Amino acid sequence: MDFDPSANRVVGTARIPGAPAPKKAPVPVKIIVAGGFGVGKTTTVGAISEISPLTTEAEMTSESVGIDNPGQATMKTGTTVAMDFGVLTIDQTLKLYIFGTPGQTRFAFMWDDLVKGALGALVVVDTNRIDDCYPAVDYFERAGLPFVVGINTFNGQMSYSVEEVRWALAVREDVPVISFDARFRASVRDALLVVLDQALDKAIRMKS
Amino acid sequence: MTYPDPDDPVAPARPGVRPFLQSGPQHSTGGYTPTGEQPPVESSTNTLRPFVITSGRTDGGDPDIGMETQVTLVPGAPPSRLSPETRAIVALCEESPISVAEISARLRLHLGVTRILVGDLRATGQLDVHVLDNDTPDPDTIMRVIRGLRSIS
Ligand SMILES: Nc1nc2c(ncn2[C@@H]2O[C@H](COP(=O)(O)OP(=O)(O)OP(=O)(O)O)[C@@H](O)[C@H]2O)c(=O)[nH]1
Ligand SMILES: [Mg+2]
Repeated sequence: MDFDPSANRVVGTARIPGAPAPKKAPVPVKIIVAGGFGVGKTTTVGAISEISPLTTEAEMTSESVGIDNPGQATMKTGTTVAMDFGVLTIDQTLKLYIFGTPGQTRFAFMWDDLVKGALGALVVVDTNRIDDCYPAVDYFERAGLPFVVGINTFNGQMSYSVEEVRWALAVREDVPVISFDARFRASVRDALLVVLDQALDKAIRMKS
Repeated sequence: MTYPDPDDPVAPARPGVRPFLQSGPQHSTGGYTPTGEQPPVESSTNTLRPFVITSGRTDGGDPDIGMETQVTLVPGAPPSRLSPETRAIVALCEESPISVAEISARLRLHLGVTRILVGDLRATGQLDVHVLDNDTPDPDTIMRVIRGLRSIS
């Protein structure tokens, strides 16, 4: 496949006139894996990634402006959270990054940062604690990011059926609710393919 | 590897530890000038978690530099005086393109710090930062991801 320079551009480098052209780099795309604490996000990332998941520490700034005290001076609260991510090389010109969100969902700033340019999200759900995923679902609905609800089956153990989970979450009809096993690569691959289908639908809609 | 934890209150905040990084410009795209004089030391009023290695900048850097943004070494970049952190970043970029998130993870540098330093290295002509033109991927790219993912077992 040809490298498409229009999709990936070098900007802002102080470059001497006549200097060699920049090296080529793959186009990065990303999918978010979100959900409550201990639902299997890191397991999901690790199952599909070609490297063992890396952790990046991000200084999350929660800006409490506009919500509780509109017009007030911005109150910034900083907290460090750890975010896991993995990589899957599609080919030399295309790389898929899979980011697992930290459990804290009140750090709106971080979510915006994470979601910018993302293809879509997989919201991982443990049927024993369904409501843990509400903040993620709320966020992606508001952000207009395509997402799929993935019930992590934890050894085939599901306290509720897919239909019951769909009912409990009250997600839109077109939001897929599926079950998968976070430990198995093929299962995670299939779950991500559902996310990609949603992403493709949206991209086609946006284009036409 | 031991890099100072910017969150650590006992991290070396003494003036003169890294004199050439002291009190750089407030914006990530500025960076310090390796050949120029020392930037004037200004008293920072932003004392909320100042990052020593980013000269106290906490703005997180250029918003165009995302976590997955690819970074490469500028071919034939002139040698430059680098801090331990920026030297480590440059070394990581030597092999092949690398994402900002990977740099952050491998060097155990905060993402925000990494982003600022990558912006600095871009400003001084050490690194090329590859930004995407379109904010959301186009159908063709998504199709390629789908085909690629389907082919793995
Ligand atoms: N039996 C079983 N255990 C699982 C499965 N998925 C995850 N686990 C286990 O559940 C625990 C939590 O999984 P993680 O992947 O760390 O969950 P997480 O969502 O990243 O957790 P936090 O980052 O702490 O919010 C680990 O001990 C996993 O081994 C599964 O499908 N089956
Ligand atoms: Mg985790």
